[in-house]
Amino acid sequence: MVAAANHSAGGNGWRKVLARLQAIGIDAVLIATALLMVELLVMAFSGRRGPTGLLLSAEEILDLLHYGWAALAGLALANFWHLFHRWLGPTPARALVVGVPESERDLEWTHTLRGWFAAVFIELTFFAGWLITELDLFAFLTKFSKAADIVRGLAHPSASVLHEGLVLLVQTIFLAFMATAFAIPVAFVLAFPSARNLTRGSAAARLAYTVSRTFMNFVRAVEPLVWALIFISWVGIGPFAGVLALWVHSVAALTKLYSEQIESIDNGPMDAIKATGAGTLQVLRYGVVPQVIPPFLSFTIYRWDINVRMSTIIGFVGGGGIGYILKPRVDLGEWGEVGTLVLLIAGTVWLMDIISAKIRERIV
Amino acid sequence: MSAVAVRASTTEPAVRIADLGMVYPGGVRALEGVDLEVGEGEFLAILGLSGSGKSTLLRCINRLIDPTEGKVWIFGREITDLGGGEIRRLRRQVAMIFQQFNLVRRQTVLTNVLAGSLGRCRLLPSLMLSFPQSERDRALQNLERVGLGDRAGSRADTLSGGQQQRVAVARALMQEPRLILADEPVASLDPALRHSVMRHIEALNREEGLTVICSLHDIDLVERYATRLVALRDGHLVWEGMPGDFDRETFKEIYGEDAEPASKTGF
Repeated sequence: MVAAANHSAGGNGWRKVLARLQAIGIDAVLIATALLMVELLVMAFSGRRGPTGLLLSAEEILDLLHYGWAALAGLALANFWHLFHRWLGPTPARALVVGVPESERDLEWTHTLRGWFAAVFIELTFFAGWLITELDLFAFLTKFSKAADIVRGLAHPSASVLHEGLVLLVQTIFLAFMATAFAIPVAFVLAFPSARNLTRGSAAARLAYTVSRTFMNFVRAVEPLVWALIFISWVGIGPFAGVLALWVHSVAALTKLYSEQIESIDNGPMDAIKATGAGTLQVLRYGVVPQVIPPFLSFTIYRWDINVRMSTIIGFVGGGGIGYILKPRVDLGEWGEVGTLVLLIAGTVWLMDIISAKIRERIV
Repeated sequence: MSAVAVRASTTEPAVRIADLGMVYPGGVRALEGVDLEVGEGEFLAILGLSGSGKSTLLRCINRLIDPTEGKVWIFGREITDLGGGEIRRLRRQVAMIFQQFNLVRRQTVLTNVLAGSLGRCRLLPSLMLSFPQSERDRALQNLERVGLGDRAGSRADTLSGGQQQRVAVARALMQEPRLILADEPVASLDPALRHSVMRHIEALNREEGLTVICSLHDIDLVERYATRLVALRDGHLVWEGMPGDFDRETFKEIYGEDAEPASKTGF
C-alpha cells in the first residue's frame, strides 16, 4: 500500500513486518473481544441456570466464556482480514499501526480503531448492566401466567372502592396543589441567589450562590419518600405530612428550574434599567422578573402535574392521598380494587397532563 | 434636573477620560491608553469597526463596566472609584440608549418610560409598578415628544424597531440627564427610519444643550449630526477631528485598507 510504504520510509523490511504483526495482534484482540460479547449475549438470552437453580451470576457467566476459542478465532479472522483488506477495507488497527492513505482517512467507524474501542466500550457497559441488574429475558418471555391474575383483576375493576377512591383522589389533587402553592414563593426568592449571572458581583453574592445551590442539591438528592417519613414522624400520618414532603422537594426542584431560567435571560433590559440609576431590587423587578414570569408559570404547572403523580406514592408510606388505600389492597392481592384505584390515578394524570399542556401552550 | 445633580464649575468638561484601559476577565484587551475630553453641549460621534472598543468605552463612562486602568471624570467628578450608591446617583444624570433598544418587552410602553425615573422613585411603590402621578404625566409628555403618545398602553414588543428605539429615547429623557450615551442607536433599524430616531437625539443636543456621546458607523449620519468625531481602532484612539475633516484616507486608517465607504458622501 502506498501509505504503508510512506509510513516506513527508508524501506526497512523488518520494521514493516513488525508493524503488520502488531496490527494483526490488535485486530485479533478486538475481534476476540467482540466474539466473547456475542457469547455473553447468547448465554444471557438463553436463561441458563446454575447448579443452585438461580440465574447464572455475573461471575459464573464470566467463568464459562470460551476465551481460548475466541482468541484463536480472533487471530484467524484478523489474518484473514489483513490478507484481503483490499476487498474488505482497512482493518481497525491498520489505521494506527500501518497508516492509511489520506483518501481513506475519513472512514466509517467500523474501520477505525477509535470506532471499535467506542463500540466495545458501549457493549461492555451494556452487558455489565445486563449482569448487574440480573436481566432474565427467559422469565420475561415464558412466565407471564403467574401475573395473569393481577392483570385480570386490573382489567375488571371493582366498584366497591370507587367512592372512597374518589374522595381520596380529590385529597391527592389538593395535596399536590398545596405543596406546589407553598413552594412557589420560597422557590421564587431562592432562585435569584441561585442564578449564576446575578451573583458574579461581590464575594457575598458568590457565597449566597454556593450556599443556596449546595443546599438545594442536598434537598433534591433526598427522595420525597424519605421526606415523607421525616414529616410523618413530625406532624403525624396524614395528608399534611404528604404536603410538607412534596413541598420541600418542590422548593428544590422549582428553585433549580427558576434559576436556570434566570440564567438564560437577555441581559439587555437589565443593563438598561441599571443604566437609569435604579437599585438592585428595581433592576431585578424591571430587568429580570418580566422576562421570567411566563416560563416560571409553565414550570410551576408542570410541577403540580408531577406532584399529583408523586403524591400517590407518598400515600404508600402514610402521607395521605389515594396511595394510602392502594397499598393495603396491593398487599392483600385485591386486584379488582387495585384496578379501580389505578384507573382513577391514570385518568387524573392523563387529565392533568392535557390541562397543563394546554395552559403552558397559552402562556409561552 | 434632579436635585442631586453634580454641578461642578462650568469650565469642567462633561466627560474627561485619562489613560483608560480595559482588559476583560478572559484576557481580551478592549481599550488601551484612551485619553478624551468631551465638552458640555458637544455631540461626539465615536467611529470604529465592530470590536474596536466603542461599546466598552461607552460602558466605562456610566460604569456598566469597571475599567481596569485609567480614570474617568463626569462633570468634574471622578467616578472610577465610586461605591454602589454613588454610582447609582451618578447614572441618573447619564442616560444610555442601546443598539437593541433593551426595552422590557412584556411591559407597557408607559411603564418602560417610567423606568427612567426609577432612580428617584421610592423603592416599595416602584417594586409594585406604582409611580406618582407627576411622573406618569411627565412620562406621557416624553412619549408625546417622540411622537408615541397614543401607544402608551401598548405592550413594548408590539411596536416596530424604530418605535421601540423612540420609547428608549423617551425613557432616557425621563431621567432628565445631562449626558446621553448612545451605543449604535440606529444600527438595528431600517436605514429609512434612522433619521426618525437620530432627529430626537439631535433635538436634545441642540435645543436642551445635553451632551451626547454616540457610537455610529454610518458616515452619512456622522456628517449630519456630530459636532466632533473620534475613531477607535483595536482599542486605541487613532483619530480625532471635525465632520468636514473626514476623507478617504482617514477612512482607510480607521477601517483598514480593505474597507470601502458604503455611503454616497462622495470622497
